Amino acid sequence: MAVKEIVTYPDPILKQVCAPVQAIDDEVKKLIEDLVDTMHAGPGSVGVAAPQIGVSMRVCVIDVSKNRHGKENNHGLLLMINPEIVSKSGAAVMREGCMSVPDYTGDVERATELTLRFTEPDGNVREFDASGFEAVAIQHEMDHLDGFLFLDRIASLKTGLFRRKNYK
Amino acid sequence: MNLCRKPNLAHFAITIIGKDRTGIVADTSEVLYKLGCNVEDSSCTMLGGEFAMILIVAHEKPFSKKKLEEEFALKTAGTGLSAFVRALKDDEVCYQGPEGELCLISVYGSDKTGIVYRVTRELADRGVSITDLNTKLIGKPTDPVYVLVLEAALPQGLTVEDASALLEKLKKELSVEISVRLITPVSL
Repeated sequence: MAVKEIVTYPDPILKQVCAPVQAIDDEVKKLIEDLVDTMHAGPGSVGVAAPQIGVSMRVCVIDVSKNRHGKENNHGLLLMINPEIVSKSGAAVMREGCMSVPDYTGDVERATELTLRFTEPDGNVREFDASGFEAVAIQHEMDHLDGFLFLDRIASLKTGLFRRKNYK
Repeated sequence: MNLCRKPNLAHFAITIIGKDRTGIVADTSEVLYKLGCNVEDSSCTMLGGEFAMILIVAHEKPFSKKKLEEEFALKTAGTGLSAFVRALKDDEVCYQGPEGELCLISVYGSDKTGIVYRVTRELADRGVSITDLNTKLIGKPTDPVYVLVLEAALPQGLTVEDASALLEKLKKELSVEISVRLITPVSL
């Protein structure tokens, strides 16, 4: 159990393209544990990417099942190594906030449906379709693996302050 | 936002408005830059043929409102631009509104007087805090349409459905369409 501190911008790690995982060794398994612990520790958090805890590797975890936007439509806890979006379609705007960019929110357009492929910690390659809020969360976390923040994708000038209450 | 609590800083609200032309933002920010002011928060937009700027600026204490007014007076003299400066108290610097759900409300219909007043009075009486609002008069000159879009923070305990129900009776009374939807940001 290790809850890590969330790295915030302007830490340069958040703007780097993360390296693919070559082998799922103990280090990667420990990283996944830390990501899950950190996600569960952040009030209302639905996902954490490795660079957000200071590790520049293509690993992220997502779980939207407890979020009001995701509870009806989700695949539970996703432990994603080297995730790839195979295809995506549709578009919807949602106002996003990010633990690595505290106090700020912005409207971001994301695909509403996508096909995702990734490797699980046991080495199995998994592929499935995701939609709705889970698809938004996947795209947001995967952006972190390519050094993109939601600030790079703001679709309108309407931005706001993230009132802390909303995390709960 | 914790940046707003700095006892060593003096904060000011500045509004600038004038007939639109290129360079209003550059001229304004030049004055602030040369004085060593930091623009902490701002919103600027076109309103009709005018360009309007609202800014919260900070400067290390001691710093006077008079200094800002003098510099803006020099810069805006003969330009048709008006500038207004107000010193802010410490408790005016941070957002202190309700922390409930955030919603977006659209109101539109044939233009008539009282749309903004009636909608916002209804919201204010229920403790709903408007955080952003804009209005436009559109449509044909013979058939003008009024559009009001606002964002509001609901008080604890008031749901989007409640807010929607609250405005329902105004729909008929004012012959306008009103829709309310949740836009509370998602934490990712």
